[in-house]
Amino acid sequence: MTAQTKTKDLLTAGTQSKSRNRAAIASYVLLAVFSIIYIVPSLLVINTSMKTLPEFFKDPIGLASGLNFDNFTNAWELANFPRYLLNTAFYTATATGIFVLSSIFVAFPIARGYFKGSNVLLTLYVIALFLPPALIPQFQLILNLGLFNTRPGYILLFLVNPIGMIILVNYMKSIPRSLDEAAAVDGAGYFRFVWKIIIPLIRPAIATVTVLHAIGIWNEIVMPTIYLTDSDLYPITRGLIVFEGVYGSDWPGLAAAVLMLIIPMAVLFMFMQRYIISGLTSGSVKG
Amino acid sequence: MQVMKKGYLFGKGWRGNWPILLLLPGLLFYLIIAVGPSLATAVYAFTDATGLRGLPVNWVGFDNFREFLVQGAASRDNLAALQRTLVFAFFVTTIQFSLGLLLAVVLNQKIRGRFFFRTLFFMPVFLGVVIQGLMWKLMLLPRGGPVSEVFNVFGVQSEFLGGPPTEAFVWVLVVQIWANVGITMVIFLAGMQTIPTDLYEAARIDGARGWKLFRNVTWPLLTPAINTNFLLNVVGSLQAWQLFLVLIGYKPGTQVLGYLVFAEGFGQTGGSGSFRQGFAAAASIVLFILVLIFGMVANYIVARREKKYMA
Repeated sequence: MTAQTKTKDLLTAGTQSKSRNRAAIASYVLLAVFSIIYIVPSLLVINTSMKTLPEFFKDPIGLASGLNFDNFTNAWELANFPRYLLNTAFYTATATGIFVLSSIFVAFPIARGYFKGSNVLLTLYVIALFLPPALIPQFQLILNLGLFNTRPGYILLFLVNPIGMIILVNYMKSIPRSLDEAAAVDGAGYFRFVWKIIIPLIRPAIATVTVLHAIGIWNEIVMPTIYLTDSDLYPITRGLIVFEGVYGSDWPGLAAAVLMLIIPMAVLFMFMQRYIISGLTSGSVKG
Repeated sequence: MQVMKKGYLFGKGWRGNWPILLLLPGLLFYLIIAVGPSLATAVYAFTDATGLRGLPVNWVGFDNFREFLVQGAASRDNLAALQRTLVFAFFVTTIQFSLGLLLAVVLNQKIRGRFFFRTLFFMPVFLGVVIQGLMWKLMLLPRGGPVSEVFNVFGVQSEFLGGPPTEAFVWVLVVQIWANVGITMVIFLAGMQTIPTDLYEAARIDGARGWKLFRNVTWPLLTPAINTNFLLNVVGSLQAWQLFLVLIGYKPGTQVLGYLVFAEGFGQTGGSGSFRQGFAAAASIVLFILVLIFGMVANYIVARREKKYMA
């Protein structure tokens, strides 16, 4: 009897570990297939960027014959890349800076409920997530302000981000109110309190919002297509698309250009991944 | 003027208005750039506005909507775009949701290299549509490109993005999912990490394994993440169109509504290149109604699920 149960236990234990093995193998097979789909495009771009044009036409996927950086220097000079990159950096830094700074002072009184109607305002930010992007009236507005095809006009478009605002408000709610009271008793003014006490405390949220907002501007393609006609004002994304239009079949050059745009992003990604992911998931899993 | 509430401690009188003063810039940006234009879309939809300065803007009533919905050949194209938007949204939502869930389940195990895989699948989100698009244009090179070579092994020939509209459309759909499944996965993973492990242990003691474990523990407890992903996918895929712009441009037989709004409004249709902003505004109202309807349906499904599992 005991022997029988024992064999039975052993048998089920066997099937269990077998099924667990099978699940592990299936997992790895799936991951391997997906890894190929996600790695190959990048490898292809790197490989293509090292090829000469005739080499590419002969065999688009063959390995490059060696390390050849001519395409990079060519793209750098031909495509006006330094200028585009500088433009992108300028737009991203300025708009993100203004947005984050102005948002902190909107988010804090909302989080505290310091003024009448603060809840209504928060709701307004939530609703905005579902409204359609208002391309047409926005365009008319910028046009009539005389800001079409100007740097200030372009930056103005990126001073709003409801998700960022919501993240800030939620994070500030976790900071105890007793801090406000203590600071007020000590005679600190409102601005000094937010600047010296609150901002250092909400640094993680600021990092998340900054990175989320900056990526959006860095990668934007529709807005520059609509608002910037002067090539001196192009950000790098628009520059790339125009470059593609002109040198459409020069894939080695294009690949080099793409890589030059990827590299700064990839470096940033390594350091900032945590903040981006926490930004994208914050509030979304708590119900 | 005293707008501050009683709980406000930083000074009385004029000093009490500092928060409002400091709040104004951010609030004004928001109202002027986002809320105002959003609402004004509904007004522009009834005009014949062009994008050109100085041209008179006339009230045209429902003409734009009539043109969009019931007027001859052009409206057939518009309705086809509407239908295509729904098809696109349906496949993106279902596939991205399921794949994201599958990847999250796999990567939620203690598998070697799971952080690497997570980063890898999330990477495209970071790169943005231009790079995503250019990468895949190169991948989908019709002659000698990697995907084409793989297809050749199976004896399949394709022009990919340059092929018949349906084919090009399907490839955009594929790239769209490739690019965004990482977000869905990450949200699922974040949800899974909030499920206490002792619940799994308890279920295992009760004899639950594999599928049963997933069905009875993970699925119900993942409700918040499932809801978020479902809503985000439905709304996001209805509004998505930028990969069409980068991958194939405004090609007859492939447009979705979001692209139609942009192309009509900013002279990117490839034809006469006129700026038909009143018409574009009407089209974006149609899109908004679509988002509203399907968003509400999604919300209803989500609420029903919540009742079922969270009660």
